[in-house]
Amino acid sequence: MVWLIAKREFRTRTLSKANIISSAIMIVLIVAAALVLKPFLTGDDEAALVEVDAATAELIPYLEGAAEAQEADYAFVEADAVPALDVDGEMPEGVHAIISGEPATPEITLSGNDGTLVGLVQGAAQAVALDAEVSALGGDPDAVSAALSQATPTVTMVGDDGEFDGGTFFAGLVVIVVLFIILIQSASVIMMGVVEEKSSRVVEILLATVRPATLLGGKVLGVGLYALVQAASTVLPIVFAAWYLDLYATLDIEMGTLLSTFAVWFVLGFAVYIVFFGGLAALVSRQEDIGAVTTPMMLLMMVPLYLAIYLVPNNPDGTITQVLTQIPFFAPFMVPMRSAFGTISTAETVLAIVICLVTVPLLTWIAGRVYAGAVLNTGGRMKLGDALRRG
Amino acid sequence: MTTLEIDGLTKSYGAVKALQDVSFDVAGGELFGFVGSNGAGKTTTMRIILGVLRPDAGAVRWNGSAVDLAVRKRIGYMPEERGLYPRMKVGEQLIYLARLHGLSRADAVAAMEHWTDVLGVSERRGDEVEKLSLGNQQRVQLASALVHDPAILVLDEPFSGLDPVAVGVMSDVLRGQADKGVPVIFSSHQLELVERLCDRVGIVKSGRLVASGTIDELRATDQVAWTLAAEGGAPESPPGVTLTPDGPGRWRVDAPSAADVQAVLAAAVAAGPVTEFAPVLPSLTDLFRDVVSEPNEEA
Repeated sequence: MVWLIAKREFRTRTLSKANIISSAIMIVLIVAAALVLKPFLTGDDEAALVEVDAATAELIPYLEGAAEAQEADYAFVEADAVPALDVDGEMPEGVHAIISGEPATPEITLSGNDGTLVGLVQGAAQAVALDAEVSALGGDPDAVSAALSQATPTVTMVGDDGEFDGGTFFAGLVVIVVLFIILIQSASVIMMGVVEEKSSRVVEILLATVRPATLLGGKVLGVGLYALVQAASTVLPIVFAAWYLDLYATLDIEMGTLLSTFAVWFVLGFAVYIVFFGGLAALVSRQEDIGAVTTPMMLLMMVPLYLAIYLVPNNPDGTITQVLTQIPFFAPFMVPMRSAFGTISTAETVLAIVICLVTVPLLTWIAGRVYAGAVLNTGGRMKLGDALRRG
Repeated sequence: MTTLEIDGLTKSYGAVKALQDVSFDVAGGELFGFVGSNGAGKTTTMRIILGVLRPDAGAVRWNGSAVDLAVRKRIGYMPEERGLYPRMKVGEQLIYLARLHGLSRADAVAAMEHWTDVLGVSERRGDEVEKLSLGNQQRVQLASALVHDPAILVLDEPFSGLDPVAVGVMSDVLRGQADKGVPVIFSSHQLELVERLCDRVGIVKSGRLVASGTIDELRATDQVAWTLAAEGGAPESPPGVTLTPDGPGRWRVDAPSAADVQAVLAAAVAAGPVTEFAPVLPSLTDLFRDVVSEPNEEA
């Protein structure tokens, strides 16, 4: 019975023309963006060609060493002929810059600004000049540069070990923000579904043959499956795009852990929030009244989101962080964020999951009661207390 | 014999007593008409039968045992406020509702095809309900009450908003269901229709069932009036009998006993030809008006 209701809910949402079109556009946009971006991102891999005049070739070893140290991608090539601009005064095809002149006083011809290259050339010229002076004074240039390279400070950081890891923060943020968006969307879908049945009065026929809790349960399940498909149709193209663009290498993220954390808290977050929203939606009879009940709920939902974003990076081991982790309405945001940072113990995660699992039947019972008490009420908005009493 | 028993239903909304001790039975094969002013308690009674409302006291029984979800699944219900999914196709919707009532998919499809044929909406199976005219939506609504082959039918105002052709179709369907042995309860404000169609009638007023029985039982009164049309003028009448003129050559005769009636008739025949002499039976409309206009006992 629940399954029958869930199936209808899922089918009407998923197979609606608007949904199919918008999902298709979304997928096409993401994949197209990946395809279009690919040449730009990979194009950068080719080293920029810098032609160096034979007279200045002495600089090349210094330039290459410095470029490697800075991870700058240049190919310094000694030109066969004297390098020059072409007849139009433009840089020759495929050439990024030309270096000519004397080693200590080189001249750089550039197409466009390139501070990195100018810095490299300046360093190389200074090194050449320094070597020359050291030699003139009877010293050994190699010994000088060896001594110079060893003269670096040793840095010891005091305080908490957590240097801010942008990649981790980003990964955690993506998970909870996606979760938040899905929950908000699903909340509005289930509320529209509940109110649609109320305002069209079909609910009276349904309740003559189905228990209110069964009806609500079926709707939550159906909307959940719909949300899952929606999430998959957005997340999978993104995962594909990230793979295609080879982004995993740059972002140090464990995809498996991230996705499984997401899956667990998707289900629990759904159970905690959506059942509750479904029950509350029964308080109103008309689509235009939904806002009166839901706006406060949606605003309240932002509190755990922002607390998770703020508290976890700034106060990863604080008491408040640990306490909020165990509160069902906060847990779906706190736990994924903390596990992205690796600051949550397995025991804490398990406890949070168990508390959620225990709370869900209670919340379902309350929501079912509100739903049963309010779902046949027509006209104005019903008070929560009245609904609970009647349910 | 199957019987739907409504026993002592009482329901209050705050200070408003919506139902007070309403009891009646509907046997299988019987068409029971439920009449009453707006707000008298018809819809509340029907909602309680369907279990969408809970009574404060009283019970509804089917063949002697309380109506539970399993029995409710076998009731066909048409709520006063019509309700279907506006953006779901007629066929899909009927199949869905049939399956919610426990039919297999194949049975549900067959039932949907049967009832859309019978009710004349088979060409609209692929259309969304909101695209249908109100009359056709009403037919689909009836189909939704019948599609699971109900053992009991409870219809709240099934005739409201129907054209005469549709009223005929609806009447035939209800009669047909009753003939199959299904107890049928329906409410209506169209009293002539109820009088013609129903085996028994219940009249509710301010939450109380003030009269119930067959039309003939309701009509039976101690003092029957007669109508007399005679060409010989007003007859001599014994004491205690009143003759009220009722048009040229017509009188209404109120007599305390059957002997007095015969005496009046004999006098009229002696005076000249009698063209009509018949008991005046109150119509359901008259009965209803009488019942409703009586002051409340409590007031």
